[in-house]
Amino acid sequence: MNVFLAVLWKDLLTEWRSRDRLVAMGLFAVLVVIVLYFAAPPGIGSEARAHVPGLLWVAYVFASVLGLNRAFALELENEALSGLALTPADRGWIFLGKAAASLLLLLIVQAAAAVVFALTFDVAIAPVALPFAAVAFLGALGLCSVGTLFAAIAVRTTFREVMLPLLLLPLMVPVILGSVRATNALLLDGALPGSALRLLLVTDAVFLIVSFISFEYVLDD
Amino acid sequence: MSEALIVARGLEKRFGPVQALRALDLEVRAGSTLAVIGPNGAGKSTLLRLLSGLTRPSGGVLRVGRNRGDRRSRRGQVGLIAHATFLYPALTARENLILAARLYGVANPSERTNALLEEQELTGVAERRAGGFSRGMAQRLSIARGLVHDPEIVLLDEPFSGLDPRAASRLAERVGALRTARRTVVLVTHDLARAAELADETLLLVRGESVALPSQAGRDAAALERHYREAVE
Amino acid sequence: MPLASPPDDRATPTLQRASALALGVCAITYGFLVVTAPVDSVQGVIQKILYLHVPCAMAAYLGFLLTAIGGGLYLWKGDERFDRFAASAAEVGVFFCALVLLTGPIWGKSTWGDWWSWDLRLTLTLLLFLVYLSYLLLRSFTEGSERTARFAAVYGIAGVAVIPLNYLAIDLAGGRSIHPENLGGGSLGAGMMLPFAAGIVTAIVAFSHLLLGRIDIAKLRAQLAQREAEQDLGRGGSSPWHT
Repeated sequence: MNVFLAVLWKDLLTEWRSRDRLVAMGLFAVLVVIVLYFAAPPGIGSEARAHVPGLLWVAYVFASVLGLNRAFALELENEALSGLALTPADRGWIFLGKAAASLLLLLIVQAAAAVVFALTFDVAIAPVALPFAAVAFLGALGLCSVGTLFAAIAVRTTFREVMLPLLLLPLMVPVILGSVRATNALLLDGALPGSALRLLLVTDAVFLIVSFISFEYVLDD
Repeated sequence: MSEALIVARGLEKRFGPVQALRALDLEVRAGSTLAVIGPNGAGKSTLLRLLSGLTRPSGGVLRVGRNRGDRRSRRGQVGLIAHATFLYPALTARENLILAARLYGVANPSERTNALLEEQELTGVAERRAGGFSRGMAQRLSIARGLVHDPEIVLLDEPFSGLDPRAASRLAERVGALRTARRTVVLVTHDLARAAELADETLLLVRGESVALPSQAGRDAAALERHYREAVE
Repeated sequence: MPLASPPDDRATPTLQRASALALGVCAITYGFLVVTAPVDSVQGVIQKILYLHVPCAMAAYLGFLLTAIGGGLYLWKGDERFDRFAASAAEVGVFFCALVLLTGPIWGKSTWGDWWSWDLRLTLTLLLFLVYLSYLLLRSFTEGSERTARFAAVYGIAGVAVIPLNYLAIDLAGGRSIHPENLGGGSLGAGMMLPFAAGIVTAIVAFSHLLLGRIDIAKLRAQLAQREAEQDLGRGGSSPWHT
């Protein structure tokens, strides 16, 4: 537990000093939202309108991949990752620390992008802000859990930046589907569908457990 | 006769088709210092990575430390000071040490950090970011980091390389201090004179295998060099 | 550097011949049964492609399960034979998976007029195919066979864990529409059970045969790599690995 807090503190402190991850992710997410606006202008019809919330999640997924890649790029210098791997504690706590740091950064980015999204696409998020935040959190958790696991793997392959999305996206269907469904229902009907939430919760739980346990082997040399 | 704190029987490590270590038998008694010498590619760093718990053996038996347990207990009893410093450039010296202390579950991280900074004469630069450190300073900090949990077993991977004479002799003193403190030390080095000076026993590794050395050869630098050349050619 | 001799897991020639023989017998029986099976009154002859489609699907999922299990065993025991098994199972499995994705649309087009419908099972298999591909890509882009084995094993386990999650997800999205119902439910006409059974047996035998062959190739590659490393050392090169 102490190790978890130590790694979380280290990542957040490092990020606070340079703020480069946050700015890059935030800017990227906002850019994606704006580009998507031009790619899929709303007002075509109610059916097209129904797909709009999904676009926000496209921005979230891309931003998270950016942030996750960076999280481990920093660990390569001075073989710092091996330094972490030497801890006698369960390496799963290191995973949790890094995942939590990525999650916190992603939540901030999600909030900023949501604001831009609401303004650009003229969608009213404010009235359902709290449930929306809950869905955003669950989705982000799904992204950052196996995302952190795969980022630790990807950063030590030869095709680093490309490898992470290749590994992550095929497994993100439950997360994206659940999140988009829930967001859709929330923004269009004002209600939170239990089935989508259940899917997200189960997915997050499975991903967290698998990642926590496998991290031991990923940090080996 | 003190107990053997590091025991390896038939220790092997394979990386694909290449065998980095083959059927190594090793015993290091508690409180003694072992020098590991050999040409590049001999498997010296691999051996340290196995001893520190960073890597799993491909075969054989390895017991490091006092528990018969798993790699995790091994990692808790061993301090590794390697080529790489394991330091985060964006964190200060103090922060790097506090992080390491917390990773090892040290009881009083800030107290321990202050003590280590003083010991390594880094108190003046404690609040400076590690990214700006010179090689010598970075090495002193990485030594502090390796010793943060006061490990019983200390592994050093070619620590003398790249050091100026003053820093080198300070480091030699430090290793000597570890010996005085009854720590078990495994020192990988290319510097045969240092090996002879600092070690109780010497292990010569050539292409992953240990080459037998006559028992007193380890304490005489010239004899060591002779045997080394013979074995390598 | 002394060279490792990889543990011998090559299938003996006898086993390979027996496997090939079994495959031949099964294939002929299977082919005969398929050809002589009654033609479906509603769907026509094209329905017979299901005799290929369903067994291939089973082989595809079996393949990934074996990949994940092989990976898990490798992580537990550290024996590279398990990794060779996992990698081979993935390569054979992805082939069967591709067959499923080819035969499915052919049947779908003739039956309900659409090359693709986002129905549950076909989408699930498509996702499986993507995970297979990513798994194989990960293997080729990681350097060092030990690291590759470890990373692949972790990805295989994550990939197999997501299959039930995908099922739930697609089900949630309403993907259950038009896939033909389960075979056991008595919806099979007379004379259709036998070809299906033969198909499943043949698929399993084919899978095993290809798996054995693939493991063989992996073993030979390892020996070749060894020989090359040997030559490198003979020329006085130093180890490409750690010092």
